[in-house]
Amino acid sequence: MKQSIDIGLRLVKALGQALGIVVLVFFLSRIVPGDTVDMLAAQGDLTESQQQAMRHSLGLDRSAVQQFVSWAAAAAHGDFGESLRFKRPVADMLATALPTTLVFAGLSFLVGVGLAFGLAVGAVMTQSRAITALVDAVNVWSIALPTFCVGVVGILVLSVWLGWLPVLGGMLLPVLIIGIDSAGQMVKPLHEELREAATSAHVRTARAKGVSALRVALVHLLPAALPVALALSGLVLAGLVAGTLTMEVLFGLPGIGSLTLSAIHGRDYPVIQAAIVVIAVALVAINSVIDILHRLIDPRLAT
Amino acid sequence: MTNHVSLMNRRRVLAGGAALGIATVLPWRADASEVRRGGVLKYATLGLDTADPHRHTGSIAVQQLYVEALTSIGPDGNVEPFLAESFDLSEDGKIYTFRLREGVKFHNDEVLTASDVVANIERVKSKVSGGWLASAMKLVDAINAPDARTVVLALKEPYSPLLNLMSELWILSPKSEGWADTIRTPIGTGPFRFGEWQPRVKLVAPAHKAYWREGMPYLEAVEADLRDDVDMALALRAGDLHVAKVSREVAAQLGRSTDIAVTSLKDSSWFFVSFNNRSPRPPFNDLRVRQAIAYAVDKTAFMRFAAGGTGVVTNQMIAPGNIYFDKAQHDADPHAKPDLEKAKRLLADAGVKPAETRLELVSWQENYPQVVVQMIRRLGFQVNHVALDDLGAQKRLGQYDWDLAVMSSGPRADVFLRYVRLMSDGPNPVLWGGVQDPEFDKLVRAAVAEPDLPDRKALYTKAWQRVLDNYYTVVLGHASDTIALRRQVKGYEPGFTWSPNWASGGIAQTWLSA
Repeated sequence: MKQSIDIGLRLVKALGQALGIVVLVFFLSRIVPGDTVDMLAAQGDLTESQQQAMRHSLGLDRSAVQQFVSWAAAAAHGDFGESLRFKRPVADMLATALPTTLVFAGLSFLVGVGLAFGLAVGAVMTQSRAITALVDAVNVWSIALPTFCVGVVGILVLSVWLGWLPVLGGMLLPVLIIGIDSAGQMVKPLHEELREAATSAHVRTARAKGVSALRVALVHLLPAALPVALALSGLVLAGLVAGTLTMEVLFGLPGIGSLTLSAIHGRDYPVIQAAIVVIAVALVAINSVIDILHRLIDPRLAT
Repeated sequence: MTNHVSLMNRRRVLAGGAALGIATVLPWRADASEVRRGGVLKYATLGLDTADPHRHTGSIAVQQLYVEALTSIGPDGNVEPFLAESFDLSEDGKIYTFRLREGVKFHNDEVLTASDVVANIERVKSKVSGGWLASAMKLVDAINAPDARTVVLALKEPYSPLLNLMSELWILSPKSEGWADTIRTPIGTGPFRFGEWQPRVKLVAPAHKAYWREGMPYLEAVEADLRDDVDMALALRAGDLHVAKVSREVAAQLGRSTDIAVTSLKDSSWFFVSFNNRSPRPPFNDLRVRQAIAYAVDKTAFMRFAAGGTGVVTNQMIAPGNIYFDKAQHDADPHAKPDLEKAKRLLADAGVKPAETRLELVSWQENYPQVVVQMIRRLGFQVNHVALDDLGAQKRLGQYDWDLAVMSSGPRADVFLRYVRLMSDGPNPVLWGGVQDPEFDKLVRAAVAEPDLPDRKALYTKAWQRVLDNYYTVVLGHASDTIALRRQVKGYEPGFTWSPNWASGGIAQTWLSA
């Protein structure tokens, strides 16, 4: 019962956080100078009176608060409006962009988790110095090298010089870059946790009883590392939101990240707003799910 | 009685690019017998913001794939007959008669008729509120289609840019989806069809099999890349793109590659320093102070920085080689060379102490304004340089709370489209400080209404003299925008503007070698 109340409170708090982000971004985006009409005017074809008329018809001459009230009322009914720049329903634009981001982030996460677990378990089980060195290398790589730098060098070497991968729209390279970066964030603490678990009495006993290495890893080591892995996954997933944004732009992937950036450049408020809702909800949902799972697998946190 | 509009004597405009000394002849041009059909050209220049061609404003480079107009602008800036095979202008300069080409088919295989053209002109007149054409269409008195291939357009008064502007009045089938409001699927007559459009990602345009130019297009499709934040130069080097717009600095690097050629648009972009003319703040309302600043700017050094070896220095808004370029005015430029001592004397005469004067300078986030900032600092001014993104600068300039703006402006289909920006009610006047000069307006209006070319040029030149005399804006020079293309692209040369399709050339005759 108490746990259900905890989870309920956690969800209410998460909803409040998401709303806070959405409201903040709404007003921040209005502070940035220039609007969509300025973009059309900058192309050189609108007189000052035409600009005023267009601003009026788009409701951009109203106060930010008035704009927020009408946007929020429509958004509450699931209506995110129409892109000011492309005159297309924002929901359609999000629906087109979302799969790219989900596939990209999902694959990157799988590569990251797989690599981190593979290296950490391998290093502990084999006691190999080479694999342990690889754990450190991936960790240092992630700390020292920003993903956008690796991305640019990767494009230059693999796409321009060697011609193996496309510059635009290819997913393999960005998935590997973000995957390795994510693995680097997880692998070191995971390795430490597993090493500690490997020296514990029950693992020693299992080994002494002749239990296979695979079984020891799956049944005795991994469950011990689960709380740490879960906490790290939360951090990595949140980081993926930022990481995919830069990679989408760099590699020309038509996802939510590049959609948001181009909407910011064009001051396409309805698109910015809806994209931020999606990102905020995703972030808060990730954190909440991780938090709830954490409480479920570790009863100490619920007390 | 009518006069047939002779293209050569009405608007002989030489290639600006050639005058700028930019390599415009591509090394891999091939004759027609070698043409290889098929292939998808990957093309990345400008974006596409709307599927409704009539509502697209600003520089356009994608929709010309699928829509065409009665006229087009040739690579030398001349007006060419396009969907109209000929046109005539009445003696009084008010009645245009267009004779349509025979057998032109829309993408739905229906034949283009004069009533379709009339419907398009009516649609622009009644539905489009912004853009050059909207103001031109206000002058239209009547539009008629006396027969299936003739369109007669009667104006209330003579308007010399009309034929040039008609090159952007797109002719679509009135059966295009969304015709009554906003067109969603345009049905044009262009060499390629409007296929699958993903805003800010790509447009796939398959070939129009019944295109009116015999045997064209050669390509199976064009894929226009519309992503705006990716590195096009790297994509070009990797072979992901065949044709891409690149900056002048990048063009210089790419030009060294044996796989890539660099060329440029035939018309030029111009660089200028504008004063705040709408509400100038002291001391920048004093002509001597404006002169002093103009004397401080080293135009040659600036153009060397901004355009490498490809720019030209002038005080004209039109590049040398263009009919509207006035050599006498150019030769008389007192600021062709900098004169710092004279600048300082002028400031002293005006009683200005630069060290105590803060100058607010607005620009885009480019490198070249820095050069002007450093040059003005040599006079001793405190310069607060505000470098903003496109929209930020647009907003700030519109507030008229600044003193100087260092800007550039791109190619236009007609000289009037440059002059109009300095008119009191002109479109987007902020880059030129919102000039309000009734005398200038009067001269430009007279030029527009003048059918005789030498007289029209004289009026434009006189209007420009007012700009020079009042130091509304100080032109630094011209350079052309650059395009890079891969070796296997044949038969492609950039046009006068960003348009990739015109009567005598363009993307319809482009092909890819093996």
